[in-house]
Amino acid sequence: MLRKKGWLGLLMTAVLLLGACSQGGGAATTGTNGSDSSSTDASGNEASGELAPAKLKIVLYGDESNRMKELAKTEFYDRIKQEINAEVEFQFLPWTEYAGGKTDLMLSTGEDFATYTDANYMVKSVAKGLYADLTPYAEATADLSQTVDEASFKAFQLGGKQYAIPVGNKPNSAEFYSVLIRQDLLEEVGMSEVTSLAQLEEYYDKVHAAHPELIGYAGVDARRMLLYDYTDRNLYWQNDFVALDEAAQDDQIINWFESEDFKNYAKLMRGWYEKGIIPKYAATNVPQLQSDWNSGKAMFWAGTAARPFEGAATISQAVPDAKLVNYFLGEGRPKISRGTYSTAFFVSSAAKDPERYVMFFNLLQKDQELYDLFAYGIQGTDYTLDENDRITRLTTDSLIPDWLLMNKNFMRFDNSVPDDFIADYKAWDDDAIISKGAGFNFDNTPVKNEETKLNGVLTEYLAPIGSGFVDYETGYPKALDRLKAAGIDKYIAEYQKQFSAWYAEQHQ
Amino acid sequence: MPKAENKGLLIFFYLCIAVFSVICFAPFVLAVSGSLSTESRIAAEGYSFWPRGFSLETYQFLFGSKMEQIVRAYAVSLTVTVLGTVSAVLVTTAYAYVVSVKSFRFRNVFAFFAYFTMLFSGGTLPWYLLSTKYYHLDDKLIGLIAPYLLSVFLMFLMTNYFRSIPHEIVESAQIDGAGHFRIFVRIMLPLGRVGVVTISLFYALQYWNDFYLPLMLVTDERLYTIQYLMYTMMANIQFLASGNAAQVGGAIIAPPLETAKMAMTCLTVLPIAILYPFLQGFFVKGIVVGSVKG
Repeated sequence: MLRKKGWLGLLMTAVLLLGACSQGGGAATTGTNGSDSSSTDASGNEASGELAPAKLKIVLYGDESNRMKELAKTEFYDRIKQEINAEVEFQFLPWTEYAGGKTDLMLSTGEDFATYTDANYMVKSVAKGLYADLTPYAEATADLSQTVDEASFKAFQLGGKQYAIPVGNKPNSAEFYSVLIRQDLLEEVGMSEVTSLAQLEEYYDKVHAAHPELIGYAGVDARRMLLYDYTDRNLYWQNDFVALDEAAQDDQIINWFESEDFKNYAKLMRGWYEKGIIPKYAATNVPQLQSDWNSGKAMFWAGTAARPFEGAATISQAVPDAKLVNYFLGEGRPKISRGTYSTAFFVSSAAKDPERYVMFFNLLQKDQELYDLFAYGIQGTDYTLDENDRITRLTTDSLIPDWLLMNKNFMRFDNSVPDDFIADYKAWDDDAIISKGAGFNFDNTPVKNEETKLNGVLTEYLAPIGSGFVDYETGYPKALDRLKAAGIDKYIAEYQKQFSAWYAEQHQ
Repeated sequence: MPKAENKGLLIFFYLCIAVFSVICFAPFVLAVSGSLSTESRIAAEGYSFWPRGFSLETYQFLFGSKMEQIVRAYAVSLTVTVLGTVSAVLVTTAYAYVVSVKSFRFRNVFAFFAYFTMLFSGGTLPWYLLSTKYYHLDDKLIGLIAPYLLSVFLMFLMTNYFRSIPHEIVESAQIDGAGHFRIFVRIMLPLGRVGVVTISLFYALQYWNDFYLPLMLVTDERLYTIQYLMYTMMANIQFLASGNAAQVGGAIIAPPLETAKMAMTCLTVLPIAILYPFLQGFFVKGIVVGSVKG
């Protein structure tokens, strides 16, 4: 009986193994076939001057619109085929799968595809060998590197190798350092501008008296916009725990939660919370804040260069005459930029033809004509241009998401955006400097456990203090204990070590 | 027990249940009313139990722009649910029968095989590899059905049910010359009807509500189910609202209209809401019988 069972087990294992081998063998043979054909094509390529046919799979996140579906099968398909002889298939995944979830599975199981990434996800995935090294294909980005900032490329390099190709080039310095004010409300209460915290609070008081149903700030994090009031340093955050002082020319990192600045900031926020500038429900329902802002029920928000017109489009559904203007609550500190890219595309390490993917990325930012095609569609069918080159879109369907492509060299504005907005927008980055930490990517492997615990402490203890829900004096001692217990010292030391090494390398 | 006291207690219980049902029902009413309101009033004033500015615009919009997609997704959902439930019930009851036959020497081995998977599983990555690389379930209708064919819990539920059927019936059938197949089809299935309906309902709910399999295995939008459409919409909104979007270069994407979300919810819930009351009777009975005799 026992022996029988043993034989049965052995048999089953053998069958499984055989199955696996035959499958693997199949994959291996196709693999070699693939490389064979590509090598012969490469030689044939020189003779005929044409590229061998290739198949590319581009994963995008969000909803696929009907128009995108149509174009992906017709004009996009034809045009890409004509340009780089590749058949591109677009696959849309829900945003929850971004930098994890199914994307992780697809990478780990060796699928042939490309999609976009951020630096964090890049560091993690490169450590597992999941991204293809794109350094050898620099030539394929010839057009793109003309229109995308050089610093953006550096942000996606690790150990001197290029692991993702940045796309987009838009003014984005000082993201969330300005206050985005509802100018229509500001004027309604007889004010004209907001240049200090005192004026911001005056604005709140006056509007609150006139419209008690409105909430003040539609957010819980104001450490950037309030910077001018609680510190003299020009802080720029690397992540939730670590900041840099951009005014100092050194490699010192700042342990944000243990700094005097955090204390002062938390007290300011406590004041806002008690005063009602941040609504009481914010502690438990953060998403509600954004919908309140979108439906015109908030007085101000954190600003970015593009928000005055991007945000206006959303708000105007509920409040047709809403007008949005960016203000800084202080001056004299240069705006900091992380680089002007929107995002960056990587190629999975299992891809058969990484170069062709890179050629595709190049098309996205190659010239005005292709940009118009991918972002806006077909002229006459999807959009029209007037004599000032202002765009009127005839469909609300988004194609390849335009936030992703957004490049100041090519982007078009519609009629509702005043000229001075555009001028402001284009000049936004003029006096900006690139962060001294731009291009540094922290490898969290040595402090992975600490990081997980710290994130727990952050959500449970520090975020509520930082947003003013909990008083600093009563809440901080316990939070600090937890922070220490979670290993903040080790984390900061490791961060400092890596950053110093990297910084020294940059300044040789 | 005096009658009056009994009556008072009864009224109290009914009141409790009434309050509870109202609480359960409220979100649904909000969704229906939201889907029938105009977008601008919802944005300005928020939800209410009575539609604000009654209009069918949202449904017209949904059916206008996404009609094809919704109808197709409905068709896929229905096909998967019907085919899936029927096949899953067949597989489950057959397995359960095998495990319940006392004269079958290896029945405990099979029971253990099934039980083992309740305790240990290979994890998502091996599962995904197996499904896509070896079984090639990706982008096929069968991929939405096969992974759920055998729920071990329901299999054991069914086994217990079969065991509760008096062995003498089976014996007399055997004496009359019936084989296992005939016993299973002619005796066990009809006598285990309540159990079968119970697990059918569980399976039907599972297939109807599932969005995980389409998420993992389907890229072809012709195979999207209605729940997956719904999930994508909600997932995108939540991601954008959570602030993670800031990492992706400050992406601002106009979220879908509030009313559209609600209309989608109604469209997804409706069939289940209609079907449920009719099946509920079986459902309760099945669970009770299974638990007492198990």
